[in-house]
Amino acid sequence: MAATTESVKADAAEAPLLNVKNMILGSLVYLVFYAWVRWYEGVYGWSAGLDSFAPEFETYWMNFLYIEMILEVVTASILWGYIWRTRDRKVMSITPREELRRHFHHWVWLVMYAWAIYFGASYFTEQDGTWHQTIVRDTDFTPSHIIEFYLSYPIYIITGGASFLYAKTRLPTYQDGNSLQYMVAVVGPFMILPNVGLNEWGHTFWFMEELFVAPLHYGFVFFGWAALGALGVLNIECQAIGKLLKKDLA
Amino acid sequence: MSASQSAVRSRAEAIKVSRTFDWMICFVLFFIILGGYHIHYMLTGGDWDFWTDWKDRRLWVTVAPIVSITFPAAVQSVLWWRYRLPFGAVLCVLGLLFGEWINRYFNFWGWTYFPINFCFPSQLLPGAIVLDVILLLSNSMVLTAVVGGLAYGLLFYPGNWPVIAPLHVPVEYNGMVMTLADLQGYHYVRTGTPEYIRMVEKGTLRTFGKDVAPVSAFFSGFVSILIYFLWHFFGKWFGSTAFVKST
Repeated sequence: MAATTESVKADAAEAPLLNVKNMILGSLVYLVFYAWVRWYEGVYGWSAGLDSFAPEFETYWMNFLYIEMILEVVTASILWGYIWRTRDRKVMSITPREELRRHFHHWVWLVMYAWAIYFGASYFTEQDGTWHQTIVRDTDFTPSHIIEFYLSYPIYIITGGASFLYAKTRLPTYQDGNSLQYMVAVVGPFMILPNVGLNEWGHTFWFMEELFVAPLHYGFVFFGWAALGALGVLNIECQAIGKLLKKDLA
Repeated sequence: MSASQSAVRSRAEAIKVSRTFDWMICFVLFFIILGGYHIHYMLTGGDWDFWTDWKDRRLWVTVAPIVSITFPAAVQSVLWWRYRLPFGAVLCVLGLLFGEWINRYFNFWGWTYFPINFCFPSQLLPGAIVLDVILLLSNSMVLTAVVGGLAYGLLFYPGNWPVIAPLHVPVEYNGMVMTLADLQGYHYVRTGTPEYIRMVEKGTLRTFGKDVAPVSAFFSGFVSILIYFLWHFFGKWFGSTAFVKST
């Protein structure tokens, strides 16, 4: 009886397998932040974003660019540094239940990565198409680029890097080398950011925004395929979780 | 970790954990595949998909199925061949349509004020359903590629016909005959409006008259077969569980 009471107490004190509150809060951070960004674009895109030589462009858009770049470097350093510094040095000796809890936590990170990829690769990238069809650019830093290339892409890079690092530092599954497809799923979309260099270099030769399917843009396409690396991560995770649950589900 | 210990306390908890993972996996796959598929599709076939005055009887019909059968083939190669889940193509296309509709409403309309009936996305769902059903019934990659791929190309134009037909009605404007979709394009001037940029109705289309859409669809189906094969193997590679070990 006493033992049962103790075990019930221990269960109650134990952290939940899936921290739903974290997942909802994290998702809300992305949704609310990007809703604010979209509001900002709507207001200051038209009123201050049409002429890069105008003083208001400097005030509302270039300052936005400088601030976001600083915040991204700081966020990446703190987040990735924290995950690395607090790594589990005895990761191979954790209990199966703790391993399951960490898999759930890893999937919370992947949920955040899914949000970040959606907003970066889908929402803000196609949005750039309609902006270029409407406004002829006079700078690499048009309002849509300041959001798409220099905000939404770094955010998914930071999130994907954090997810990869979490798996690498906390889960026994990922201790035997580096998962090829996890690297593809994180490094491939990351490469879209350096590919902006090719894109902008090309646009200084040709005005191509009239055509979204211009071959100059195919670098984005190639690296976008890397999102399919998520299929490899899915397979690894299903194997690992299956192993943890197999005898209980049989 | 000890092999004798269990990660869960009961069979009921194991089932609950398994179901929870299912939902999280569905969400993550949906949005990550959406992101990759959307950036691929918008930059390889986007202009034909964005505007009704690009949705012609020749290049739209040819290009859209060829570039859009890619991700469905890759995702099927994992979801069906590993998990026997028969909805890989539909999952991809629903994701793409979700991303496109959100964008067309909030950005094309909400930010740059193009009306939705000028910038709605193409319909890809009929082809995706057929692709999944053929794979489910045949359990054959070759049959899905050949019959499904061809059907995917052939079904695209009929699948879009109900919505595009009213915009292909001929109108006379300043002494010129054009479609209603062309007229929409002239009224909503974009950087892609000039006729030397717009890739529509090329070649001898006008003299071939009504035959061009079926011929384009047939050609599209043929290339879709080849692309399906290619992307099936891409999908297999992306589904790899290999680890790279440091030397």
